[in-house]
Amino acid sequence: MTFEPKIVGFLCNWCSYTGADLAGTSRVHYAPNVRIIRVMCSARIDPTFVLKALHDGADGVLVCGCHPGDCHYSEGNYKAMRRFPLLKQLLADYGIEEDRVHLEWISASEGQRFADVVDDMTERVRALGPSHVRFDLASDMAER
Amino acid sequence: MEEPRTGVYVCNCGTNIAKVVDCDAVADSAAQLPGVVVARSYKYMCSNPGQEMIAQDIEEHALERVVVAACSPRMHEPTFRRALQTAGLNPYFLEMANIREQVSWVHDDGAVATQKAKALVHAAVNRVVHHEPLDRMSVDMCPNTLIIGGGIAGMTAALEFAGAGKQVYLVEKLDHLGGNLARVDLTAPYLDSARDIIADRITRVTDNEHIDVMLDAQVQSLDGFVGNFKATIRRETGLEGDGPTVSVDVGSVVVCTGYKEFDASRVTHYGYGKLPNVITSFEFERMLHEGRVETKEGRLPQYVAIIHCVGSRSPEFHAYCSRVCCMTALKYAREVKSALPKSYVSDIYVDMHAFGKGMEDFYRRSAEIKTLFLMYERGEPPVIRRADPDDDCEMLIEVHEQLSGEVIEIPADLVILMVGMEAREDSGEVARLVNISRDKDGWFIESHPKLDPVATTTEGVYIAGTCAAPKDIPDTVAQARAAAGRILGKIARGKIDIDAVYAEVDEDKCSGCRVCNELCPYVAIEYDAETRRSHVISALCKACGACVAACPSGAIKARHFTDEQIFAQIEGVLA
Repeated sequence: MTFEPKIVGFLCNWCSYTGADLAGTSRVHYAPNVRIIRVMCSARIDPTFVLKALHDGADGVLVCGCHPGDCHYSEGNYKAMRRFPLLKQLLADYGIEEDRVHLEWISASEGQRFADVVDDMTERVRALGPSHVRFDLASDMAER
Repeated sequence: MEEPRTGVYVCNCGTNIAKVVDCDAVADSAAQLPGVVVARSYKYMCSNPGQEMIAQDIEEHALERVVVAACSPRMHEPTFRRALQTAGLNPYFLEMANIREQVSWVHDDGAVATQKAKALVHAAVNRVVHHEPLDRMSVDMCPNTLIIGGGIAGMTAALEFAGAGKQVYLVEKLDHLGGNLARVDLTAPYLDSARDIIADRITRVTDNEHIDVMLDAQVQSLDGFVGNFKATIRRETGLEGDGPTVSVDVGSVVVCTGYKEFDASRVTHYGYGKLPNVITSFEFERMLHEGRVETKEGRLPQYVAIIHCVGSRSPEFHAYCSRVCCMTALKYAREVKSALPKSYVSDIYVDMHAFGKGMEDFYRRSAEIKTLFLMYERGEPPVIRRADPDDDCEMLIEVHEQLSGEVIEIPADLVILMVGMEAREDSGEVARLVNISRDKDGWFIESHPKLDPVATTTEGVYIAGTCAAPKDIPDTVAQARAAAGRILGKIARGKIDIDAVYAEVDEDKCSGCRVCNELCPYVAIEYDAETRRSHVISALCKACGACVAACPSGAIKARHFTDEQIFAQIEGVLA
């Protein structure tokens, strides 16, 4: 049986989630591997969400927000943008391949692009194979 | 902890979901989840019987939580929240799983789609356990309205408010009212004068005591939230540059910023800007208004050609139809014939779009006045070139005529290009100013294209007219009145309910580090120097959650988007 990656997608409500809905209303088909979780803004995406997803068995995590300059909350996506490299660094320390976690800007009108991003990400994660993440999230969580 | 009693409802959406997803299987798998006491699959959950089914189950099964797996929550979350509320359950005890837009409409393998739907339902059931009862806040509704744009849409809306005795601030960028319609001579299909329509409105708007018309003015900023916005408006003062600013309190905003015409010089093979007698529809309107149909050299044209879809329905420029040009072209054919009865008019079109009331009749009557209709294909537009000196015309147009299948060359002394509508170049700026979205063509996006066409995703901000998409005068007027009607309904109630979703600081956990203070784009977090704690002013908070993710102490909670809820959801999608 071929490996089907499990990918968790965190999408902001205003641009990216709406863009994903537009892919639906436009009937643009894409890989079924991404399971979407809606948040109000990409700035709400706590790095622990990504860690938790990887810990619980996700092979990849996709984070999507509004394009720079177009954030519904004016600058939330810049916060997500600044946090992301720090998260990537942390993941590298854990030995997690860079391609497992991905940040993309998807506007409410980019249904086709959302579909392309999902297809692209699915193929990249598929190429990496199953994730063998081993880290103790419990201690990290206990601190919170 | 005992799981709360949960009901799961899997909507078939007719066949929209059920043709791909095995809805019964999704319901059966949900029934096995902890806390789920009833799980059903039903044809239309949003229908009255569907909602009654939920209400009845809430009573019979003493449900404490409800999961609806159906369309996007952006579509029917308010519907199902109301259903819960009607049945006496807090509306926030609902969670939706999006198995239509994000499953059945985008996947075709039934087994895989069903598996994904099960995972999303699992996530929703997991999440809803952690939901808390929330109360919506009721705030005062400011009865004033800001209207941006003084065209037909803005003026129509303004008169509606004024008619109800409510204050309007009508902000127009130019030094006069009227918008694009003021540049039009007669209107299709009844050939009544646009200037009459406009002039009457301008007088009524200008004279009205409830309408504060601000010309040469632009909205500089908009802060606050539905019912309680504060707008800063800057008036330009001619050569002096930036003029004084005024600040006004408004409860709602109607954006009526209109469109701009397509730049015809972008289509190189029409020679616009190079061939003097190739003109745009707006230039022809000016000629009509001045009462002279003539060439640049002042001669009466013998051959007049009208070319449709300039910039519209084109693979290179805009894919959409601009909706008003076909009937405007017919109007021109009639006006040319009436001004110059001996002239020959050819109408070079792609498809003749005669939708709308009275238009098909108009098309039939116009076809009777001896216009030569030539059909070209979108990918193969006509080419205009200068005629030879011994030809009896100034230009020749080569058309790959679709109906005859032949290449036809027709003479022309005057060519009218039917330029389409496009989003204004400042539409991005306006969108950011009032916090709404634009589609790929730059048009503002409505809350729902069919069911909520004048509202936007920002509560209290409405759109009307051609800033949302090309449309004709009747549709524009209808939208302006619809937006005014929606707002007047809210003003009549005096109070509005705003979403109960906002951030909260647990002051016991707050270390007073003030990281959140700087992060908040709405300055909604206040620091109390005495207690050395921060707290959120809930009415100002827009629930983005930036502070929640940033708080080093984990002291801030995003109501309805808590860590526990999202963690539970993550576990669910990966189960």
